[in-house]
Amino acid sequence: MSAIASSSQPVVGLSSSGALSHAYIKYPPLRYNIPGSRGLFYDDGNKIIVSPTNNQVFSWKISPFTPAIAPTSDSLSEGPILSIKFSLDSKLIAIQRSNHEIQFQHLETGETFTQKCKSESESLLGFFWTDCLLCDIVFVKTSGLDLFAYNSESNMLHLVETRKLNVNWYVYTHESRLVLLASGMQCKAFTGFQLSSVGIIQLPKFEMVMAKSEANSKPILASEDVYIITVYGRIYCLQVDRVAMLLHSYRFYCDAVVQQGSLPIYSSKIAVSVVDNVLLVHQVDAKVVILYDIFLDSQSPISAPLPLLLRGLPRSTSMGSRSNDKNGENSEVNYLSDLEAIIYGDDWNFLIPDLICDVSNKILWKLHLDLEAIAASSSDMASVLDFLQRRKLEAYQAKHLCLATARTVILERRPLSLVARVIDVLVSSYANSLKTGNYFKGSRSEKRAISTAPHENIPAAGDMASASRATIIGKSFEYEGTGLEGEYFQASASSGSDLEENGTMGYLRTDTNIDTGTSVSGMQERQLTSPVISPDEMYSFVFCPVEEEMAGEPSYLVSIMIELLLSANSEKIKVHPNIYVLTVQLLARNEQFVELGLLIINKVLEPSREVALQLLESGRQNRQIRKLGLDMLRQLNLHHDYIVSLVQEGYYLEALRYTRKHKVVTVQPSLFLEAALSSKDPQHLAAVLRFFSDFLPGFSHTSDHKAYYHLLTEMTLAPVS
Amino acid sequence: MGLSSVSSNTEDLQFCVFDLKRGQYEGQELDKILFFYPADLPFPSQLSVIGLSEGLITFTSIFSPEAPCEVIEAEMHSHVFYQAEPDIWMVMVVEKNTEVQAVWRIDALRKVLKEVHSLFMMFHGSIRLLLMKDPTGGIVRSHLYTFILDYLSDFLVGKKLHLPSFRDSLKERGTVEMLTVGREAAIEVQSLVRVVESCGGNAQCYSLLLFQDLLVSTTLCPDDTINLFTYAVLRLTPHALSSRQSSWSYRGKGNSGSNIITKSSTEAAASFSEQHSPNSWSEDHRSIPRPLQHDKWSKGKDGFLVNDIWHGDSGNSTSPTPVVYLQQTEERMYLCAYQHRSLTLLFVVPVSSIINGEQGISAVKQLILDNASLKMSKVEEKLSKGWGGENAYHVSGYRYLLIDADRNISRASPPSKVATLAKDSLLFLTKLRKEVDIEKSRTRWDCPDHDRDLEICIRAKNNAWVIARATQGKELYMVLENANETVLYASDAVEKFSNRYCNGAFLD
Repeated sequence: MSAIASSSQPVVGLSSSGALSHAYIKYPPLRYNIPGSRGLFYDDGNKIIVSPTNNQVFSWKISPFTPAIAPTSDSLSEGPILSIKFSLDSKLIAIQRSNHEIQFQHLETGETFTQKCKSESESLLGFFWTDCLLCDIVFVKTSGLDLFAYNSESNMLHLVETRKLNVNWYVYTHESRLVLLASGMQCKAFTGFQLSSVGIIQLPKFEMVMAKSEANSKPILASEDVYIITVYGRIYCLQVDRVAMLLHSYRFYCDAVVQQGSLPIYSSKIAVSVVDNVLLVHQVDAKVVILYDIFLDSQSPISAPLPLLLRGLPRSTSMGSRSNDKNGENSEVNYLSDLEAIIYGDDWNFLIPDLICDVSNKILWKLHLDLEAIAASSSDMASVLDFLQRRKLEAYQAKHLCLATARTVILERRPLSLVARVIDVLVSSYANSLKTGNYFKGSRSEKRAISTAPHENIPAAGDMASASRATIIGKSFEYEGTGLEGEYFQASASSGSDLEENGTMGYLRTDTNIDTGTSVSGMQERQLTSPVISPDEMYSFVFCPVEEEMAGEPSYLVSIMIELLLSANSEKIKVHPNIYVLTVQLLARNEQFVELGLLIINKVLEPSREVALQLLESGRQNRQIRKLGLDMLRQLNLHHDYIVSLVQEGYYLEALRYTRKHKVVTVQPSLFLEAALSSKDPQHLAAVLRFFSDFLPGFSHTSDHKAYYHLLTEMTLAPVS
Repeated sequence: MGLSSVSSNTEDLQFCVFDLKRGQYEGQELDKILFFYPADLPFPSQLSVIGLSEGLITFTSIFSPEAPCEVIEAEMHSHVFYQAEPDIWMVMVVEKNTEVQAVWRIDALRKVLKEVHSLFMMFHGSIRLLLMKDPTGGIVRSHLYTFILDYLSDFLVGKKLHLPSFRDSLKERGTVEMLTVGREAAIEVQSLVRVVESCGGNAQCYSLLLFQDLLVSTTLCPDDTINLFTYAVLRLTPHALSSRQSSWSYRGKGNSGSNIITKSSTEAAASFSEQHSPNSWSEDHRSIPRPLQHDKWSKGKDGFLVNDIWHGDSGNSTSPTPVVYLQQTEERMYLCAYQHRSLTLLFVVPVSSIINGEQGISAVKQLILDNASLKMSKVEEKLSKGWGGENAYHVSGYRYLLIDADRNISRASPPSKVATLAKDSLLFLTKLRKEVDIEKSRTRWDCPDHDRDLEICIRAKNNAWVIARATQGKELYMVLENANETVLYASDAVEKFSNRYCNGAFLD
């Protein structure tokens, strides 16, 4: 991993390449070129890619995605390979040898056994391993599902359950634990099963919508046109309707399948990816990608269609520095220029959720979002921030962008209503993360990611159940409804890639820090799993820097503070006391003493010692403000501070009364005596002396008493002499 | 012009404004007089009142040039002095009657003079400035006449002028009464205020927000706040708009006890100022804006308050949006008022910032409607929910007046509750307040930076405790009837009140 980090390409980053794109793939890719390879298989259950040769099988871990990772190899018995998948505990390997049999091989012992279809009439469509309680592996056959459990002692599969139905083809993703079985003449009737740890949930049958080109034509739905995706812990199915040129989406609840709407498509070849809960619809022919954030059930794309870019290519070669035209380099140059040419090439194979396999070059790309470009593409700051706040994969960058955006809207003096909405988005997002407990999970989730084997993930079934409950209550509750379980699922599934982000792009972080010139050392970037911004950070990274730059216009800034308080109050969040202190400073600097008074009296600026002391400080020119500070100290029962301040104001007799009433013993008598002496009123000095003589045992023997008694006699004698 | 029935009953009051700089030569003495009420008093009598006042002012200023003369207590009359502007004096002569109705507290009467002058300044600018514009004094005189008579008509009860008397000793003119709001509502209010003030663009705008007749928020300095607040309560708030209903605030239109002011009295008030205008100026009265005239404001369709005060009859360019002068910035400001149910928003924009007059104003108004009307109804809803009604600030067992002199804020028992007090209690309280007034004015000259602490407890003839406390700029007056007879009990009651309602400001 460190080797990768050192081969740094400073092209990627906040100030990234000039070309416009919202999604990109990053050089270097993972190369899986193995001599004698017999194809590539994607094992999404284990998050590996598998490439078998004649007598060996190589596998690369793709989560975390590290391009330079070395493959692990296992020996393999010879034979045809239709499909190959490791069991979820990585002890067995299953190889589909034909339409009727699957061979199992024990990885440690090398023992093998074979499972065949019972009758010749049915043929095997495929299989997948599962972490369902009932069974370990599921065979999908033309006649239905066979669910088997593996018995390690007998080294045999036992049939647990069969589900009989006609199947033309199927789609399955491990992420969703959902298998969709297509049947019917047009293959548009679907039965779905979710194999979760809770059990097997059968979804109601449903039909997908297909437009007809002519009256009698009946288009047949192909398996390539159906995708199962998981977004924000919800499960959707996307279906390409080639005639209508639409991408229909369906959302799965455990008791219903609801069509959500349709997205237009602009290419006969379509591919779908999901990166960090953002849906990417690749218009392959047009060589552009359109991004959708379907969190809000909105059908409109995040931004205009833009091409997918390859970034991080070492530019030195193509920049024309021909001097290093050595042989080895030369082939590299060719290779690189090939790479550039093949974006959306015919050999691209899109793997759900976010991988692209270039079959001819034998390389694997991972898709990334350029959050900065997306943020820059919209003028609606509030919705941009809303979008950024939902990003988990590049949480650090998202957070950074959010802070920068917040600063920018303020510095550009955007209308108050807009800034208010921006603040509101940030605050409610923070409040939400507090509610779901995500905010404090940061450091823990990272550890969990290391120790968690994939089958420990909480399957999405719980999510589906709760989601369906939420729909009854109302759509607006959906996010909360999926909340804990969905979020948990999300966090554990994606934190693995978080690690990767942090591991490989460590240099990027420092770069950006320097770029924006803001000290962000306080943020524990490695632990960041969510871009939410706490009120403390809002103070340190938004208001503090902004205040320095906007010294001339305190009024506008105060208005924004008020909006912050409004948002925070409606979400029942405490704000940083320094925000109050800053507000006091700003108002006092602007000499808006009336407003300051109102804010203090109505406790809009919550009382605290810091605020009280700031009032005393800011009120040096204004007695009323000083009094507010005094009152606040008294109301907070900060006796010592109150008395000292009272004496400073010249109210030492009142201070004495207060001392006595509240039995404050921390203030030295000399403070009062000094104040009384400076009044040059012998009566006052005598009164103070008398007070301490009467109420402070042993005072008459102290040096203070002697000294001031002496001074008093001098004062009273002075007029005579 | 014969003596009207109204004037015959108001002979016990004389009210004049004069300029010491004018009429210095024999034969020109009448020039001094800028206003005299009753106007039909023969000039020699008017001059004798003014002459006496002038003489005393000149005499006392030998000893005390900065604060010459405050009051003359004669056997039958009290003369209350108020120096409104340098060399411009207002004097009120009230009859000392044998009936108790006429037990005056001078400070309260002086506050009346101060109030009418402040309001006058707000709408017409200073008297001196008007005199400089028109040295004959015609403009000033006509303005003062309409303005002061409109103002005095508010004190009319039946056919008698009721000036603040001992019955009003638990009220404090020249202060604002505030609504106590919770933190949440206060934040909403602040947010509203800031959105509203941002509608004025880059110009420094100010606003005042009232709920019913109580102030919720202000961004103006205390003096301007008092003036606009006073005007709003007199003419703009929902109560003032439906003038049949009397306000329950301290300016309860004279009769504090009963909440009924009859339609006829409003009419009487309207005719009052008409009848008292001297003939000589009547022809140009029509063109003088009369901001205090009754029943001239109403709520427009868009929620903004409209008036037909500033409409020039001759169709000249006078703007229907009133212009006010702020004391703080000495700037001329357009005054807009928006009302949503119980909520009244006063909004002032610098005249200099509005380029094309009425058009510009309506653009600003539209901005306010677009940006703030939603927040406004939200705030109104919130405040209405938390509003305890007219008796919200009643504390059972207590009749009190709490003044925060630093912030010019007062709070008092509701008038209907004060009305239940025995006459003796109120008379004693007036006496006590007079003492405190004297004490206060002494400290004001002795050490202006230091507030005086004061504690007086009196057992009245009717066994009520009458209490005054002052500390660090806050004053508390209290009447406890039906209280225990020990002074300890009374002082305990004060402490309890202080802890509960004044954040413990009045400590023992």
